Amino acid sequence: MKRLQKDRIDLINEYLKSNKLDPELLPEILDHLACEAEERLWDGKPFDQIFNNMKDFADGQTLLDLSVDHKNLLAMEKSLNDIVFEGRNKLYGAYDLRKSYGQTIQRSVIIGVTLFLLIVMFPNLYARLVPDPKPDDIAYVVEAAPLDIREMIEKPPVEEVQPAPEPKTVRSLTPEVLPDEQVPEENLPPVLEELENAQPAAKTLDGVEDISIIVPPAPEAASAKPAIAEVEVKKDEVFLNVEQAPAYKGGVEAMSAFLQKNLKYPSKAASAGIQGRVFVQFTVGSDGKVESATALKGIGFGCDEEALRVVKLMPNWIPGRQAGVPVRVRFTLPIAFQLN
Amino acid sequence: MENNTTSNEYVRGTLKTIVLNLLAEHDRMYGYEITQEVKERTGGAIALTFGALYPVLHKLEQEGLLLTESVEVDGRLRKYYSLTTPGSEAARTKTDDLERFIDAVRLLLAPRNLATE
Repeated sequence: MKRLQKDRIDLINEYLKSNKLDPELLPEILDHLACEAEERLWDGKPFDQIFNNMKDFADGQTLLDLSVDHKNLLAMEKSLNDIVFEGRNKLYGAYDLRKSYGQTIQRSVIIGVTLFLLIVMFPNLYARLVPDPKPDDIAYVVEAAPLDIREMIEKPPVEEVQPAPEPKTVRSLTPEVLPDEQVPEENLPPVLEELENAQPAAKTLDGVEDISIIVPPAPEAASAKPAIAEVEVKKDEVFLNVEQAPAYKGGVEAMSAFLQKNLKYPSKAASAGIQGRVFVQFTVGSDGKVESATALKGIGFGCDEEALRVVKLMPNWIPGRQAGVPVRVRFTLPIAFQLN
Repeated sequence: MENNTTSNEYVRGTLKTIVLNLLAEHDRMYGYEITQEVKERTGGAIALTFGALYPVLHKLEQEGLLLTESVEVDGRLRKYYSLTTPGSEAARTKTDDLERFIDAVRLLLAPRNLATE
């Protein structure tokens, strides 16, 4: 096979270029035409004739068609950006931005939608991932140390509190008015001998005999011994007879001295020569106060009023006691008016 | 020349199939080789012009049916074409299609009594 000389190939190349063949197609077409020319040379034809022949069948129109065809083919692949940026500076950056615009938008849409869905569904997801606590779930364990409650109760010992010396008491209950057959035998009131050395109380106790001052039982002791608290004495009730009658402070002598000192013989009664006794009834309260004094039976002539006035003047008495508790006692005091 | 132009009319529709079929028979071919092969095998009845051949080759390449490789021969770049896997499949189906079409055309062109028999 005859080789085509370099200058002849260049000649063909120049020809193709002058016909504005697409540079991308040029090497291929050049090779094709060169091959054909070599074939003809092999047949023994002169190059000039071959070249002219070539110009005939590879005329400008055919080459132009080839270029246009090729361009159309590439245009199918080319995007608008390639056309816009054709012959411009693509390195500037705008081309890359435009080229990757689609990708960027696609990526950002996916990320945005994902984030949005995550935020919207976060409560739901969280609820799914963190299971609801079951009723028998144990949040934490507390070791329960066994506590001896009895020991704790025993700790505050009452022994330290010196039990108040129990006064010797004799069972003595407030007598109740009942039909004969219902009167309980054991509730008989105490006899005088018994009361000499003992205090009347709800229970008979062997306590200390000579307790002159009766200390009110300590509140703890009272609660500790509910038997005593059981005795309920109606303070408002007015008694006629009590185990311990109310007494004037200082005794009968003191009272008579007080009366002598304060009583004044009413002049009317004196002039009328009236003598006799005025019975004044009053109530000694549980605090010893003399109240609601009235003249039960009088002698008149101002003696009743005088007697009442003096009785009301009297200082507080020692209150009467029933079962050891001070009570209100109705008391009748005769006051004698006597002319010397 | 006249003969060529008339044949070109039919060649245009079957060119793709001819090229694919030829490439299926050979490992790789370049443009001029294809034209020579066609010319030799048809005894010059079909002559491919480069103006018709190269657009077809480029189109097949773009469709992914052909692979190209450039080799420097005698100081010139020669572009070789070979079939890809989808290319050889397309070659098979297109050849079958064309054969069926030619059979049909033959039936149409044959004398009527022959066709009916």
